[in-house]
Amino acid sequence: MENAKDITEYKFSDIIASPSIKERFEKVRKYFFLRESTYDMSNRCNLRCEGCYYYAGETEKQFAEENLNPTDWQQLMEAEKKRGITFVVLAGAEPSYVPELCKTCYDTIPLGCIASNGLMPLAKEIDYRIHISVWGNDTTSLEIRKAKNMLVRQMENYQGDSRAIWVYTFTPVNIDQAREVTETLAANNHQITFNMFSAPTDYNGHLRHTPETLARTRAVMSGLLAEFPETVVFSPYNIVAHTHEQGLHSLFSCSYPRMNPSTAIGLGRSFRQYRTDLQWDRAAACCVPDTDCDDCRHYAAGSAVVTARMYRHATTPQHFSAWLDYVDTYLAVWVKGYDKGENLCKEMIEPPEQS
Amino acid sequence: MTTDTHQAITRIAEIIINELKLEDVTPETFDADLDLVDEIGIDSMDLATIALVLRDEYGIRIDEDDYPKLTTVRIIAEYITTKLAEKE
Repeated sequence: MENAKDITEYKFSDIIASPSIKERFEKVRKYFFLRESTYDMSNRCNLRCEGCYYYAGETEKQFAEENLNPTDWQQLMEAEKKRGITFVVLAGAEPSYVPELCKTCYDTIPLGCIASNGLMPLAKEIDYRIHISVWGNDTTSLEIRKAKNMLVRQMENYQGDSRAIWVYTFTPVNIDQAREVTETLAANNHQITFNMFSAPTDYNGHLRHTPETLARTRAVMSGLLAEFPETVVFSPYNIVAHTHEQGLHSLFSCSYPRMNPSTAIGLGRSFRQYRTDLQWDRAAACCVPDTDCDDCRHYAAGSAVVTARMYRHATTPQHFSAWLDYVDTYLAVWVKGYDKGENLCKEMIEPPEQS
Repeated sequence: MTTDTHQAITRIAEIIINELKLEDVTPETFDADLDLVDEIGIDSMDLATIALVLRDEYGIRIDEDDYPKLTTVRIIAEYITTKLAEKE
């Protein structure tokens, strides 16, 4: 057990004495000011996907009324800014139904990201990062999302658009299709990052991962990262963190309010997840509120949960490098204009024990 | 207040000033009872960075679960002196 050791083998000053580590630390450190909250923008979507994070689950967020008043949204954003929020994530159900509200958010808090299915393009004046969801090849998309020619249409809508990055959600049934999708995106000069299907609380369907599908996903991710380093925005440590048999909460202790009672500092203090009626509920406040926490390997969760654990990774140069790769990936995926560097830690190392 | 705690307060204030690049304040003028979150605007990543520098300086581990308690320079100083005493 690491906490049984006499402190650590390395001083932090020794770890960051390495020029490459120091340079990367200084690069990511400039973004430590980011403080996020998330916002459901609309309760409408043009798709109904199996296991959807918005429409599945125990809570009734999908029944919250839409507030379509731009003045109310502007006031909310002003209030959010005042309480220290510097990064907004506009999600559920499909934000492109309400572009004017997205623009209102952008005008007040200019750093952020929109999670979209990519079928209705968002105007370029909303200069947030745009995460375009992809759940397999077009045959699978038709089956699970009931949408024809999805990837082709998404690419047409966001061709040459530096805001866009595709987020491939691995499920047990689409693992081998990730290659085809990655090849297509690479051929069209797009970027892709990886997500893991994480079961909603009441979901018992066939998309829930098993140890066998986690292992297969790990192998496919690893192969694609090696083969398409310019296209795949990920790192070996991302692969470990998101395909581990233990979920993110078990590995890193989730710091979102839903699992973290402390309101003193960090996400427990500042994070809120607003519904379409502009209300929020601390008991449901996390990036994907209806996820079964034991099964959570969601990319958005990891982006906060793993990055928050800097201290425990500063035990060896290798662990700290892996953590830096994770943060570098997180910033490249979420912050428009941030360029990811080469991964510092090429091996897939186990996460450190809790401090 | 013991000399050890007083020295720790000055040194911790110096570390915070350096790490956060605070201006118009010196270790001697830093109010040890200022709320670091509410009044200085420190967030968890800043605190983690400061905790790492303190780990190097004092050779003690600062448990991540203890971060919420470390709200002022004085409390951090007392935390460190207690940890050092436990170590002896």
